[in-house]
Amino acid sequence: MKTIKLTTSILFLLLATSTFAQRYITKTGHIWFHSEAPLETIEAHNKQVNAALDTKTGAIVFKVLMKSFIFEKALMQEHFNENYVESDKFPNATFQGKVTNIDAIDFSKKGSYEASISGDLTIHGVTNKVTSTGTFEVLPNVIHGKSKFNILIADYDISIPGAVAGKIAEENEINIDIKLKDLKK
Amino acid sequence: MEKIFKIGGVFAVLGIMAVVYIWFFVYNKPHRNYEKAEADFTLSAEACYNHYSDGSEESLQYLDKVLQVEGVPSSIESTNSSVIVVFAFNSGMFGDEGIRCTMLPNYHDRTTNLELSENISIKGYCTGYNGTDVILEHCSLITQ
Repeated sequence: MKTIKLTTSILFLLLATSTFAQRYITKTGHIWFHSEAPLETIEAHNKQVNAALDTKTGAIVFKVLMKSFIFEKALMQEHFNENYVESDKFPNATFQGKVTNIDAIDFSKKGSYEASISGDLTIHGVTNKVTSTGTFEVLPNVIHGKSKFNILIADYDISIPGAVAGKIAEENEINIDIKLKDLKK
Repeated sequence: MEKIFKIGGVFAVLGIMAVVYIWFFVYNKPHRNYEKAEADFTLSAEACYNHYSDGSEESLQYLDKVLQVEGVPSSIESTNSSVIVVFAFNSGMFGDEGIRCTMLPNYHDRTTNLELSENISIKGYCTGYNGTDVILEHCSLITQ
């Protein structure tokens, strides 16, 4: 348990070093993944995702509790947690990165802005570099962020048994939808 | 010959029954009904949060279990598709920290009408601790 606390502290250290005025957060971020295989389409949703963005430095972090992914089928959820991502051993997935074009986004002006994001994604205890694009829609008191990217599950040391290979895609689409609010408000 | 057909028929029926059983009760088995499930542990929301945030051994027994927690909620958050009851006991980098309970859809209206000064009990499935909050999913409101 102390490891979880320590990881969280390290993750948010980069945000802590900036002034509080620029930090936007959410604890109700929505992340879902979509797997389309010849025999089955699988989708699972997690609506209690922690995310934080420093609008000055562009630092962005996510923390996702793996057991909070809800599947349509109970058996899929069991297999996901027990056999594939081993949620008891690796309870959280994290992303720690940067909005690389942060200077091109005016968070004080209403509008929709393209964003480029890159950073380290850790799933199943394996960390890989990820780059993606997305949008930030600046609204009164809210920054609405959206992004979509693909990951190869083999890159995260997740192996799929041959018997279910036709039901689980090797490449999964990850969708992100977050509504960030100023921590002070 | 007739005997062979009879035996074959019995096996065919057993085979079909097995396929139907696997399809409905294994492959498509429903999610557990957490609203009707008995709570594995009943405790105050504050004690539950403290067990997790202190890293005490008690917290190890809560994962994947149905918890019934009681306390005064600090806020009720509504998003497009979910309603979350928050019991806050600490403050950190992300703001309030405590227990966050995602309510089942049939409890959305009742939950959003709750008074924040009201002592309530909520039952849900514990998916763990993310470093800031204990998360309960599929939650229902327990009438006192």
